[in-house]
Amino acid sequence: MSVRHNLRVVRAVAGADIRLTLREPLFAIIGVLVPINFLLLFLLFAISGGQAPIAVVMNDRGPLAEQFVQAMGNSSSFIIHTASAADAEREIRSGSIVAVVTVPQEFDAALAAKARIDIPVEVNNLNVDFTNDIRRAVPLSIMSFYADAFPAQVVVTARESDVQAQDTGYIPYLAVSIMVAGLMLASLLQSSVNTARDYELGTIKELALAPVSRLTIGVGKVLGAAALAAASALLLLAVVIFFIGVHPLHPFEVLGFGLLILAAFLALGVLVGTLVRRRQQAIPLSIAAVLPLFFLSGPFGPANWLGAIPGAIAAASPLTYAIAAFQHAFHGYQTAPQGLTADAIVLAVFTAVAVALAAFAFGRRGARQ
Amino acid sequence: MTETAIELTGLTKRFGSFTAVDDLSLQVERGEIFGLLGPNGSGKTTTINMISGLSHPTSGAITVLGTNVLTDPRTIRRSLGTVPQENALYEELTAEANLRFHADLFDVPKKGLDKKITELLELAQLQERRKSRVSTFSGGMKRRLALVRAMLHEPELLYFDEPTLGVDVQSRHDLWDRILELKQRGTTVLITSNYLEEANALCDRLAIIDRGRLVALDSPSNLRRSFGDTVLEMRTRPAPGDDVVRKVRALPGVVSAIASDSSLKVTVEGGADVTGKVVTEVVGWTSLEEIQSREPSLDEVFLSLTGRELRE
Repeated sequence: MSVRHNLRVVRAVAGADIRLTLREPLFAIIGVLVPINFLLLFLLFAISGGQAPIAVVMNDRGPLAEQFVQAMGNSSSFIIHTASAADAEREIRSGSIVAVVTVPQEFDAALAAKARIDIPVEVNNLNVDFTNDIRRAVPLSIMSFYADAFPAQVVVTARESDVQAQDTGYIPYLAVSIMVAGLMLASLLQSSVNTARDYELGTIKELALAPVSRLTIGVGKVLGAAALAAASALLLLAVVIFFIGVHPLHPFEVLGFGLLILAAFLALGVLVGTLVRRRQQAIPLSIAAVLPLFFLSGPFGPANWLGAIPGAIAAASPLTYAIAAFQHAFHGYQTAPQGLTADAIVLAVFTAVAVALAAFAFGRRGARQ
Repeated sequence: MTETAIELTGLTKRFGSFTAVDDLSLQVERGEIFGLLGPNGSGKTTTINMISGLSHPTSGAITVLGTNVLTDPRTIRRSLGTVPQENALYEELTAEANLRFHADLFDVPKKGLDKKITELLELAQLQERRKSRVSTFSGGMKRRLALVRAMLHEPELLYFDEPTLGVDVQSRHDLWDRILELKQRGTTVLITSNYLEEANALCDRLAIIDRGRLVALDSPSNLRRSFGDTVLEMRTRPAPGDDVVRKVRALPGVVSAIASDSSLKVTVEGGADVTGKVVTEVVGWTSLEEIQSREPSLDEVFLSLTGRELRE
């Protein structure tokens, strides 16, 4: 069996898998769009969960009252609109806002007279997460307003020094983490579905009876799935760069770590497809594998911040290192103490193990249906 | 060049405590059509998987075309064409794409490949459908395509699993003709089938295996003869009682006697003399309304060797 024959088989298997996927629109759509959907879903979750819609009733239109409302707006905790007392009451009763903050009459005058001011805050406390946001953010807004409006009277202030050169928004941070999970999902889905299809349709026999090694067949299958997963990866990258506005600081790191993640999870996809042998099972299993791994791998902040037990679990997840490497590639900072080289080594070892497991399972199970 | 295409020696395959193939030994000669028959779960597929190198035997030896399968399975696969029961065709690809894919897998030279594909599609009467997706084909068309695909790399040994399962009568006879043509070209053909009529029409020799063991191996005609010369089917009134059946069974030359409703089926060995004694015995007890005499069928041989119980 010559190298030329092996290459011919690899190309034929990859080509057939690509054509078959494209001729089954449902599976093509699932394979390419589910990871994008995953990204958009989590971003929507982050966007919608980050800021609470509130109404502000302005019973005083003085400059200090306006400055106070502006301080609330700057807190990044509220989506603010002003309303009359009646409209605000109707909105909170109908459930369309979380809280009503009322700026009382004579706000400016009372401040000038250094009199006590009570700011009524009516909260729809049906969701404790939002309720606590309001409970934290309103006093912080008052402090922030006070420090700006009367700097001479505020004698205790925090003096911040930053570890990183620039702030990173929650959404740009999260988008990069989700992109890694999307890459993982795209490769796992494509590869597992392509492999399971051959068992499901009986065509595995045609492959298994060919006078080539199973490894050659497996490489062809991985490359076929890689082409389709790469399409999904490019879409993910386009969304992150052009819609969310996060540009990679180190594009070659994105390429290198991206290929490593694709290779690892494409190999794992072959393993999953070989074990379950049905596409209808491969799809939910792939999604079910990604979701917990994603949450356990420090997607919302460095894994070390999760605490002892979740941190230990995160340390065992390859996605943790992939997310850390991608955060460096996009934002230029280290989110974990192990460093970029350690991330690369862990991912390379994980890829090698995944490829070995897939080759073993695919070779051992062969044509048995 | 060895005259033996396949040689199995003491072949055994166990899955845990279950023995799927039990000390199976047989030889398939080059150029013959050899049938492997047996009830469901008898070990046919396990045997074939071991012959094609897809599965390793627990013990025993397999030589195919002079090569040890255990040490060099890829060489065997290059000389082996397979038409699996499920066809294993990519239904969303065209007929031509399926053949080209097979050519890549088996490294069929690209020079002359177009001509070869055209010839094979003409042989399968699918030339006009070469650009059609296989999913639009009938069962018979798929079967013919799977057959010519297996012929594409010109194998010396062709294995056909249930050649005509699920195809119509015309397609069945057409496929039979093509299998017989393969034999004329010198190709060794191994088939497994549940249709004994098919095995009878095609095979030079048959092996019947049951519970992993070889229970019979001979030509179809010899197997039938081993079951008895003649089957007598008699209709009587009243129905034959147990006494009649017992008396008939006791006659010399009677292989078996089975009564059901108003009929009695007796298999005999020894020609007209024994037939006369059976008829005399029956008319002594009941009125014989009709009698037919024929050769035993392969179905009867098969059932007598493997029993009537249903298998999963």
